[in-house]
Amino acid sequence: MKRKNISYLISLSVSIVLALAIGALVLALTGYSPARAYGEMLRGTFSNARHIGDTLEYAMVLCICALACIVGAKAGIFNVGGEGQLLLGAIVAAQIGVVLKGHSAWLAIPCAILGAMAMGAAYAFIPGILKVKLKVSEVITTIMLNTVAVYICQYLAKGPWKNPNNNIVAGTGNLPKAFWLGKLTPGSNLSTGIFLSAAVAFFVWYVLKKTAAGYEIRLTGQNPRFAFFAGMKTDRIVLLSMLVSGAMCGLVGMLRVYGAEHIFKSSVSNDYYFEGLMVAMIARYEPVTAIAMSLLFAVLKIGAAGMELNAKVPNQIYLIIQTLVIFFMAAEGGVRSAIARRLEARRKAKEVRANA
Amino acid sequence: MRELWSLLKTVISPGTFNQMLRSATPVALAAMGGALTEHAGIMNIGMDGMILLGAFVGVIGSYLTASAGLGVLAAVGLGVLVGLLFALFVVKLRSDEFIIGCALNTFAAGATAYLSRAIFGLSGTSGHHVTSLPRLHLNFLNHIPFLGKILNHHSVFVYVTWILVLLMWLFVYKTPWGFWLRASGEQPETLRTAGVSPERMQWLASILCGVFCGLAGAHLSLGYLNGTFTENMSNSRGFIAFACVIFSAANPSKAYLAALMFGFFDALGYRLQGVISSDLTATIPYLITVVMMVYVVVRSRRRRKKNLRQHESLGNLS
Repeated sequence: MKRKNISYLISLSVSIVLALAIGALVLALTGYSPARAYGEMLRGTFSNARHIGDTLEYAMVLCICALACIVGAKAGIFNVGGEGQLLLGAIVAAQIGVVLKGHSAWLAIPCAILGAMAMGAAYAFIPGILKVKLKVSEVITTIMLNTVAVYICQYLAKGPWKNPNNNIVAGTGNLPKAFWLGKLTPGSNLSTGIFLSAAVAFFVWYVLKKTAAGYEIRLTGQNPRFAFFAGMKTDRIVLLSMLVSGAMCGLVGMLRVYGAEHIFKSSVSNDYYFEGLMVAMIARYEPVTAIAMSLLFAVLKIGAAGMELNAKVPNQIYLIIQTLVIFFMAAEGGVRSAIARRLEARRKAKEVRANA
Repeated sequence: MRELWSLLKTVISPGTFNQMLRSATPVALAAMGGALTEHAGIMNIGMDGMILLGAFVGVIGSYLTASAGLGVLAAVGLGVLVGLLFALFVVKLRSDEFIIGCALNTFAAGATAYLSRAIFGLSGTSGHHVTSLPRLHLNFLNHIPFLGKILNHHSVFVYVTWILVLLMWLFVYKTPWGFWLRASGEQPETLRTAGVSPERMQWLASILCGVFCGLAGAHLSLGYLNGTFTENMSNSRGFIAFACVIFSAANPSKAYLAALMFGFFDALGYRLQGVISSDLTATIPYLITVVMMVYVVVRSRRRRKKNLRQHESLGNLS
């Protein structure tokens, strides 16, 4: 193992331990027993097959979202609009399922996958082309387009694509049972979609790490001028990375609908992409680390739901712990470079003195 | 034709503009803070979390002391703390401002929801008495026909915001501090040569941004919603404020106008509910912001080209 990896692992573990300690303090101060709460959190994740299934499903969602962010980030374009791409992909997939009712699942599911991915990519195309052609900051445009997508989905789910027989304000028609992805553990959200996700995750890792295309993507992200003068079509690489990123987000939306919710409603995603984004950040945009971090965050989240049920502790404590990890990791980088700067200054001062 | 006329009448009514002012105020307050960090060269997308924290602490302060004023004070105090924390990470430790902003938003959502449930229980503040901010009833306004109905009977911060916008405009464009602040974002090294630390200006901008977002939050919970806290009540207003800042190129008075535009489309959504879905009208400000960003970039590009051409022709002359 390289030294860089070891120091990363150390700072990550220290951050997690510190975050859990502060979480315990918050629990104690608000009148809950930290030991009981954390115990219930573990039990909530691992006690039975259903909870383990839910944890894996959420880890899958986080992981693909994080990888989508990484694909863009490696090429130097930061896709913050994954939430919008995810929601639009989900609603398009749901509607495809409703329209194709009565047809074979072998037709409907591939159609839904392609439709959702195309929708996600198309929605990512707007900020992508603006960035490449006009140098408009993709961060701001994607944030704006996120909200636009949320409203468009609300509109569609309340208006034209609403199923009046459902007793919810905003929801499309139910997905025909024939199209539901098979469950791996009864009662949980875990479906065969996880195999598709695993394939996508492997594909992303393989392309980024092992192929010439991945090398070009990374080079474009690190030094676009060099890549350009080395003869790479940097604009096309950036735009393509953005499209792939959008397509992956759309796929997550489709999997949420076909694997877990079986309808489009607002619970399809609750800022899941932003959590995936944070996973990618903590993992420093490394695919393998991102997969491991998704599992950790999924354990926290699903465990927190069990904790709320059994120990009556509000589940949002997991958000506090999760963001504390991020703050500590961010601080760690800064503290480290501050120390390095100080050492450097001292070394220089010494050199000056030695020369004098 | 007659339908169109009656539609126009519902849209251009005092009620619409009254609602516009109401909706615009929390956004405008946060945008004042966002304008400062934007000038200091910090992309602050953590405003949403700052507002949420302000809203929560405002309610807690008012609940515990039975005084809305002290609630606002508590929110301002927390704003200072959050601004310090933000600056510590972004300015001192040079973390990615985007990561910190994202984390701050999620932290605020989690922390306020957790504490709200721990303190008030599952149903939030409903059923608990929280003193709200007073409304101003100005009698002389009743005599002005159209405008009076728009301007009267608002929560006190609607009026305070006008003063704050004016003060911020003076601060940014007419004081040496404002000059340094703008320089800290545009030409930090030049500012350092002039003997002013750009980092110090960035600290100042972050802290003031925290204060403004705290005020925005306190107004939201204690004024706009009359003393209630609900989970995620900031409802992306921080992002709208951010859009206003970008839209207005961080000019406080223009940012206020941008906030009014958002408020107008918000009010329009309510008014046109029977005609067009309010979800669709709500997208308009965001789309305008995207278009505006493209316009700003294209314009600055064209200007640069023009300058270049002028330089070239000057070169030919000599």
